[in-house]
Amino acid sequence: MSARGGPSVSGPRLPAALAFALRELRGARQGFGVFLLCLALGVAAIAGIGSFARALTEGLDREGRAILGGDAAFTLTQREASDIELGFFTLRGEVSRVASLRAMARTLAGEAALAELKAVDPVYPLAGRLELSPSMSPGALFAPGHGLPGAAAEPALLARLGLAIGDKVKIGDAMFEIRAALVSEPDKLSAGIGLGPRLLISVGDLPATGLVQPGSLVRWSYRLRLPETAPPEALDALMDAAHERFDDAGFEMRTRHGATPQLERNMERIGQFLTLVALTALLVGGVGIANAVASHLAAKRATIATLKALGATRGQVFAAYGIEMGVIAAAGIAAGLAVGAAIPFVGTAALSSVIPYPVAPRLDGATLGLAGLYGLLVAGLFTVLPLARAQETPAALLFRDTAGEARARLPRRPLLLAALLALGLVALALASAVDMKAASVFIAAAAGVFGLLRLVGMGLVALARRLPRPRAMVPRLALANTHRPGALTPTVVLSLGLGLSLMVAVGLIDRSLTAELAGPVREEAPSFFFVDVPSADQAAFARFVADRAPGARLRAVPMLRGRIIALNSIPAEAVRPSAEAAWVLQSDRGITFSDTLPEGSRLVEGQWWGAGETAPLVSFDAKIAAGLGLKVGDTVSVNVLGRLVTATIANLREVKWERLGINFVMVFSPATFAGAPHSVLATLTFPGGADAAGEIALLNQVAEAYPAVTVVRVKETLEEARRMLENLSLGIRAASLVTLLTSLLVLSGALAAGHQRRVYEAVILKTLGATRARLIAAYALEYAGIGLVTAAVAVAAGSLSAYAVTVFVMEIGFTFSPAVALGAALGALAVTVALGLLATLKALSAPPAWVLRHL
Amino acid sequence: MDDIATPSFILSLSHIDLYLGSGPARVHVLKDVSVAVAPGEAVGLVGASGSGKSTLLMVMAGLERADAGTVEVAGTRLTGLDEDKLARFRGRHVGIVFQSFHLIPTMTALENVAVPLELAGRADAFARAARELAEVGLGARAAHYPSQLSGGEQQRVALARALAPEPAILLADEPTGNLDEATGRQIMDLLFAAQRARGTTLVIVTHDPGLAARCDRIVRLRSGAVVAAGAEVT
Repeated sequence: MSARGGPSVSGPRLPAALAFALRELRGARQGFGVFLLCLALGVAAIAGIGSFARALTEGLDREGRAILGGDAAFTLTQREASDIELGFFTLRGEVSRVASLRAMARTLAGEAALAELKAVDPVYPLAGRLELSPSMSPGALFAPGHGLPGAAAEPALLARLGLAIGDKVKIGDAMFEIRAALVSEPDKLSAGIGLGPRLLISVGDLPATGLVQPGSLVRWSYRLRLPETAPPEALDALMDAAHERFDDAGFEMRTRHGATPQLERNMERIGQFLTLVALTALLVGGVGIANAVASHLAAKRATIATLKALGATRGQVFAAYGIEMGVIAAAGIAAGLAVGAAIPFVGTAALSSVIPYPVAPRLDGATLGLAGLYGLLVAGLFTVLPLARAQETPAALLFRDTAGEARARLPRRPLLLAALLALGLVALALASAVDMKAASVFIAAAAGVFGLLRLVGMGLVALARRLPRPRAMVPRLALANTHRPGALTPTVVLSLGLGLSLMVAVGLIDRSLTAELAGPVREEAPSFFFVDVPSADQAAFARFVADRAPGARLRAVPMLRGRIIALNSIPAEAVRPSAEAAWVLQSDRGITFSDTLPEGSRLVEGQWWGAGETAPLVSFDAKIAAGLGLKVGDTVSVNVLGRLVTATIANLREVKWERLGINFVMVFSPATFAGAPHSVLATLTFPGGADAAGEIALLNQVAEAYPAVTVVRVKETLEEARRMLENLSLGIRAASLVTLLTSLLVLSGALAAGHQRRVYEAVILKTLGATRARLIAAYALEYAGIGLVTAAVAVAAGSLSAYAVTVFVMEIGFTFSPAVALGAALGALAVTVALGLLATLKALSAPPAWVLRHL
Repeated sequence: MDDIATPSFILSLSHIDLYLGSGPARVHVLKDVSVAVAPGEAVGLVGASGSGKSTLLMVMAGLERADAGTVEVAGTRLTGLDEDKLARFRGRHVGIVFQSFHLIPTMTALENVAVPLELAGRADAFARAARELAEVGLGARAAHYPSQLSGGEQQRVALARALAPEPAILLADEPTGNLDEATGRQIMDLLFAAQRARGTTLVIVTHDPGLAARCDRIVRLRSGAVVAAGAEVT
């Protein structure tokens, strides 16, 4: 015979625990919604963020050729390639020459704006497509017409200067006709973040501008496209040969496989941070999982006791329900992975207009596997203890209600398993971290807040139990509900508290960053940076500025560009710097020389050199030196203007970068660069601040009188930085929102689990004469109390975390925002009371007679 | 561990003391109880509510540990066994029938009966369970879930489940307490018929004098102590 819904009499020979688990799943359709959603949401966030970040970085790699402008790029600062160097390139493929520099674009009406000038040759672009509006070829764009060479400008520049197609614009000493708006350039990303909008001219017209002077900050990039017939190893061979020939020549060499290393690194770091935020959501969800499992197993006590009475061991009970939970967790994880895998496809489609290169999302097995593993570990961690408690259910329960008995002590093995799962989670987060330090701080903070909230929840229950009983019924009932067995207090404090803490921390870090950007501008930051002031014109320039901005303080230092070639004779490529110091080795850096310790710096080790020092010495930023493994007495070899200079580190300085003054990682002794052509970098600070109109007028005057000097208005740059920060914090807020959403899920799950008890309680109280209004008041008071304490703890924990991150990780000032704190507090209060009352109203509407009959 | 000789008594409780609760709420539930049951004997445990009948049954099943005294069941001294060893022992040698049936709601009748056999690792668990169900007249209801069965049918499934592993001892805790009189009588007919046919030892807790009278011997408890332990007509 065959059993409907069960195995045949010959029976499947499954191990008993597995067979029981599969049968138990028949009744598991209800009550696992929160379990599934919590797990799915967290896994989806981790999988989605990881897959999207991977799709973006893979896109960078795949589009490397277009982004770089060729298969390889060789970039020099301040000098062009020699004929020998150029010969080396042209022998190996097609070469395109591109010069980029900052310049002031001026209108005939005297308006000026900073532009990122790019001068390209006729074969540009070697890869990808230049998009102009109206559409035209580069040849047509640059051809002389109306007696003027042509140029294309980004719409932002046209808008800033009030220019239209056909208008004229002055760059340095030359005049150009705007022929088109620059819609997109394929190699924009490899240039990094610019300070102004792009202006595109022909490299043949660059000399006429007079901007290319010895020492001026021009980057010459030689992009090389290998022949289509070249074998795959040709690129490696080219780079090997280039390194061998030109290692000391000061070239920054990149291939299509690492077109934008800084951007890729930043994307990885942001991706990692967002993944950690999503992991917090998963951990919050873990509380919901634990609640759902505990509540399911509580309902199964009689079944478990029966199994034990029939001969099931604790291990068999643990295995049977463990398998059941495993199947449900697998379903949640699978759902999360499915949604997470879809996120990069949806994200790419939605953001295609914002992402500046083609992205081809795919099913990324490694990222999905990682997200699945996180899901498994979290599900395991939050399931193992309720399971361990369930396996201790006494079979004697079948004869006597032992619900009120004290909980049995948990056996050691499940506790050990839980500890191992927690360790596995931390190990996985650290192993997959790009920035170990940031990941460690985040994990420590999350664990700390988790522990704190758990303690607060337990403490609140204990406190409520010890408080004197109010005489009035409503507060007495509210107080009793706060500490009774099965009270919502610990769950609400933990789950909502975690989500809120994260939101408060993110909000306050955001405020601190904004304040940091705004703060120095008010106080001590300069209004202008003047770049590329010819050293011969330094005195005249100072007079010019002093006449037009009396009272303002001009500070000028010599400036050159140099690229670190070796540290202690070890080639820079072989050095393994810390994540914070890596940028110093990535491309050329501004360097200066000085007789005296620069303003805003403090000597922390070694001695400053004397005025007549003749040896090549260098002063290094102390933190960067530590990141590069350098100490006083070590040597640094720098290529400056094609010349290799090796200097000994004489001392280390502490530099206050955040003051936005003139700061350099490396300050050399003047003798090091005696006679070298250099320009001057100057700042202008108005004590007490300057008005915008005055600043713009001065900018226009300087641009007119000194067309070769680049004027950077600090306020505009900071505004740009603030906009970028806003975009970034939008992403972080979205990830944090997933955490908050999970908190609400956990909260609603806990409310649903306690629903039966509420109905019973409400019916008994109504039978004894309590009105609905009184009951609602009591419940509202209970939820408000819990919500208020949760909010207070979350604000404190979030503020503390934000303080630690801003002060110790970001090393900026911490700004507390009462608006963020108050918003979080009111939000927590509103959510707890609203959700709580919503659940209670259903309980209040249950007809007493029906409930009493079915008790 | 639990090798079984052929003892003169299959169930032997000697000087059992048991306390429940703690502090001021501590209650002396069983007081120096000694009971011995011979193989194949049917014993009725009677007494007022709270006299300790069910607790004594739990001690016999190894579900409750005595604070003093020794318990020997089917040649195995239960006192030194840990919880899991007790569970395995119960699975092999003791069948239990509860007042509230305690069928597992997510399992069919057949699966419920097969549970102890599966736990014991029996390869023929389902074939044997099907035979046991047929024995209690529920062969046609094998695929039904407990919620689809009447109270009497549920108790018959519970009886089949208790008998399936062919235990040496059958313990029944007021098995007719939740059933109407006629249904209760049918269940008891089945229980005693199976007990006699298989030579199983039976200990039954009951308030029903008629049911107690069907036993070979009655043990009466009052306030946790045995007041009579011989053949008796009530």
